[in-house]
Amino acid sequence: MRQGYLATFGVITRIAFRNLFASRLKTIIVGGIILFGALLVVVGSSFVDSIVAGMRRSIVGSVAGDIQVYSSKSKDPLDVMGSFSLEGADLAPLDDFTKVRKTLESVPGVKSVVPMGVNGAIVPSGNTIDLALAHLRELVRRKIDGKASAADLAAYEAEKGHVRQILSVLQGDMGNAKLLKDEKALADPDADADAEAVARAVSPQFWASFDAKPLDSLEFLENRIAPQATDADMLFLRYVGTDPAMFTKSFDRMKIVDGQNIPEGKRGFLFSKFVYEEQVKLKTARRLDKIRIARDERGERIAKDSELQRFVRENSTQVREIILQLDTPKTNLFRQRLQAKLGSSEPDVAKLLAELFKTTDANFDDRYKFFYTQLAPSLELYRIRIGDILTIKAFTRSGYVQSVNVPVYGTFDFTGLEKSPQAGALNLMDMVSFRDLYGFLTAERSKEISDLKAAMNARDISRDNAEAELFGSRPEPDQAAAAKPTPPAPRTIVAEATPGIRPPTSEGVGGKLAREELVRRVYDPSQLESGSVLNAAVILQDDRKVPETIKAIEEAGKRDGLPLKAISWQEASGFIGQLVVAFQAVLLVLVLIIFLVALVIISNALVMATLQRVQEIGTLRAVGAQRRFILSMLIIEAVVVGVIFGGLGAALGAVVVAALGKVGIPAPNDVSYFFFSGPRLHVTLATANLVKALAIVFVVSGVSSLYPAWLAMRVNPRQAMQSEES
Amino acid sequence: MNTIVSVKNATKNYLLGKVVVPALRGVSLDVAEGEFLSIAGPSGSGKTTLLNLIGCVDTPTDGTVEVAGKNTRQLSERALTELRLNTIGFIFQSFNLVSVLSVFQNVELPLLLQRKLSGGERRKRVLELLERVGLSGHVEHRPSELSGGQRQRVAIARALVTRPQLVLADEPTANLDSVTGKNILDLMKELNRTERTTFIFSTHDAQVMSHASSVIRLADGKLLDRLTGADAIAAGVVRPSHTAGMA
Repeated sequence: MRQGYLATFGVITRIAFRNLFASRLKTIIVGGIILFGALLVVVGSSFVDSIVAGMRRSIVGSVAGDIQVYSSKSKDPLDVMGSFSLEGADLAPLDDFTKVRKTLESVPGVKSVVPMGVNGAIVPSGNTIDLALAHLRELVRRKIDGKASAADLAAYEAEKGHVRQILSVLQGDMGNAKLLKDEKALADPDADADAEAVARAVSPQFWASFDAKPLDSLEFLENRIAPQATDADMLFLRYVGTDPAMFTKSFDRMKIVDGQNIPEGKRGFLFSKFVYEEQVKLKTARRLDKIRIARDERGERIAKDSELQRFVRENSTQVREIILQLDTPKTNLFRQRLQAKLGSSEPDVAKLLAELFKTTDANFDDRYKFFYTQLAPSLELYRIRIGDILTIKAFTRSGYVQSVNVPVYGTFDFTGLEKSPQAGALNLMDMVSFRDLYGFLTAERSKEISDLKAAMNARDISRDNAEAELFGSRPEPDQAAAAKPTPPAPRTIVAEATPGIRPPTSEGVGGKLAREELVRRVYDPSQLESGSVLNAAVILQDDRKVPETIKAIEEAGKRDGLPLKAISWQEASGFIGQLVVAFQAVLLVLVLIIFLVALVIISNALVMATLQRVQEIGTLRAVGAQRRFILSMLIIEAVVVGVIFGGLGAALGAVVVAALGKVGIPAPNDVSYFFFSGPRLHVTLATANLVKALAIVFVVSGVSSLYPAWLAMRVNPRQAMQSEES
Repeated sequence: MNTIVSVKNATKNYLLGKVVVPALRGVSLDVAEGEFLSIAGPSGSGKTTLLNLIGCVDTPTDGTVEVAGKNTRQLSERALTELRLNTIGFIFQSFNLVSVLSVFQNVELPLLLQRKLSGGERRKRVLELLERVGLSGHVEHRPSELSGGQRQRVAIARALVTRPQLVLADEPTANLDSVTGKNILDLMKELNRTERTTFIFSTHDAQVMSHASSVIRLADGKLLDRLTGADAIAAGVVRPSHTAGMA
């Protein structure tokens, strides 16, 4: 009997196989769909998995670590990457980092713990004319005091030229503005007075008398002209306060690009190389860089790419930023070099520059080289230089204005993520300066304040009735803000950069730093360890153990009486972390749609095939085949097709993935560097994806054969008799 | 002689939409073992319906059909299938071979469904029968490589391979030329004689009827008469000529 079963199975299989071969077209259509589906599942899920892994490497390796820990008393969830607004998440500080570290390090599997805090500051770029006038005043004073050297006298003449240059740019701007404004604006008496003042400042008579009464002239310029000059772009800096040495050690993809790391025990600031290039660099130079990269690395052409055309247009229309930097000797130098280069006799440097930047694919490389070798050395390419001191002012959480001087030590980036705006969004600051700016109250400072309050007979005033309490009447809103004893989230931080647009001094970074009051910028390493932090990155020995470790950390927190909340890198990276889920969801939906379509097509093909085989099925039934025989036959057919073509598709998918893994998919734009965790995505194949593909194919081919099989089972043996006559 | 088929007052109605179409209106018939019975009648007279009832592929609306002593109306679908498998062999007008199987596999199929014989026994039985029907040289051929007559021989071998008590043939020669048809009929007749297998076949072909031991005539779903083969010829019902489609 057993042998009978086997033989029956044999004959079913044989009929099934023969049928598949006999109806080749159907088999190829159905098999083709299954093959494509399996291929898609393998390649698609490997691709998405690799992107997820890439994003994970990027996020984990650039700032988040495997796990982020913060206070469970915080009002908002932690988001170390996503937020680009001024307002950070409202986090409660973890008071004593030494304790936190001790607790975290007691959890098995924790490799290292990095203290952190993320915040932002605005750097209004210095008003160019203010800086130039300040410099000129300094030179005038030396001249009056009779201390001016020959070099100073030359600098004096040059700076006068610089100021005149700025004034003529300003006048040009006002002329342009006039064209845009309607008559009503022209009727504004202030506008007329302003224009008159500028006209006077540009006039040759004004400058002819400048040497005679320099201080009066300067005062006129400072009071009447400087306020009219508009500022260059403001700079918004997001920074992470941390222990620089620990950060560098724990995030091993981090590397210093320019300058040096913040030395241990020193206050300091490191720019992200991306921010430094993208926001601090002279815009014209940055656009030239971008055109070069697009041409050299991505093979794009100005003639064909609208973005590159826009860069060219902007470079030739926005030469103001360069003109403002030119004093008399530089203006002459530029005129001479540009005229020679362009073979032009045009005296206006602005027009010459505009002409230079009208680049085409034919002359771009040549003019790029010319700009960097002939012009750039006379220009300040970066608004803030390595070695400058950034004075960052902040309204702290406890309400007073705090300012901290931090030297810019250098720039850094993360290997493989050099071009990623996401990985490059955060700059770095030492933890002690961060704490000062954020306004954590140390125990001593807290006591000091309460002592002061007691001495001054101050009392606590609630925010709601502060106005009434303090002034007895409803004051203007900004007064109220100033009077707030405990503002809710005053984290809009105003920072000021030190003059960026100054001729470079001959001093190196070390010399310049040595001049600063060292006391302010040196701290005891234990100070860094013992103070408050907002959050901490935890790096694991085994990155697969994130969920267990999160649990263990929160338990350890409870045990040690610390309000610790631990979240995974994915949660901590906010919006970007959610992208991972979004990618997976999109793929899932895509796969579902494809397989739904496949299901319908396959089912249809099988129904057609069944209808064509009614007589054969009827015959089998008449001859004595039970319904289950017919059912098995059809299911085996479907499964055989599924296994053969699904297997083939999966194998093909594996080959494609292997090829993609070897060659790598090049990142199409800067944003994808982050997702790819480098310039190329090397897709890897997981066995799980193969299994998944085969399982899906199995289910789909099985399910799609259900209806046709049901139809076939209902074929009546009588239908075998149906022929031309009955 | 034992009765293998006993039809008593069988009626069969088909539903065509909402219209009830009576295909058989009270037919009674006994078939003894070893008969070579022809069912004659014009198209629509109920020949195929009667064969379906006897072949257990259908059950009567009213009346009874007993095959090998079993009342088909009382049997489940499965039991009817079992009965067909073990008791009845089928020969179809258009041969109905499984096109994807070889001659050997087609003949072997019912034995596989029966699951009674070992591989060796099956092989022996199949080859024996193929020899009987004269197709020893075509064992591995596909049906599409055979002529119509050869295909019908394969079908006969398939019908007989389980050694059924009863073989039903629905217009077995209709798709064949007269010479081939006669050969097929001769083969059936010979098997009827040597194996004592009962044959019931429907036909319009008077020539075919002349081979029958008895002929029953149907018209409008009713049994007209039952004649022996010799009587039929004598009565002029069956003319020894080859004219299809006569009443």
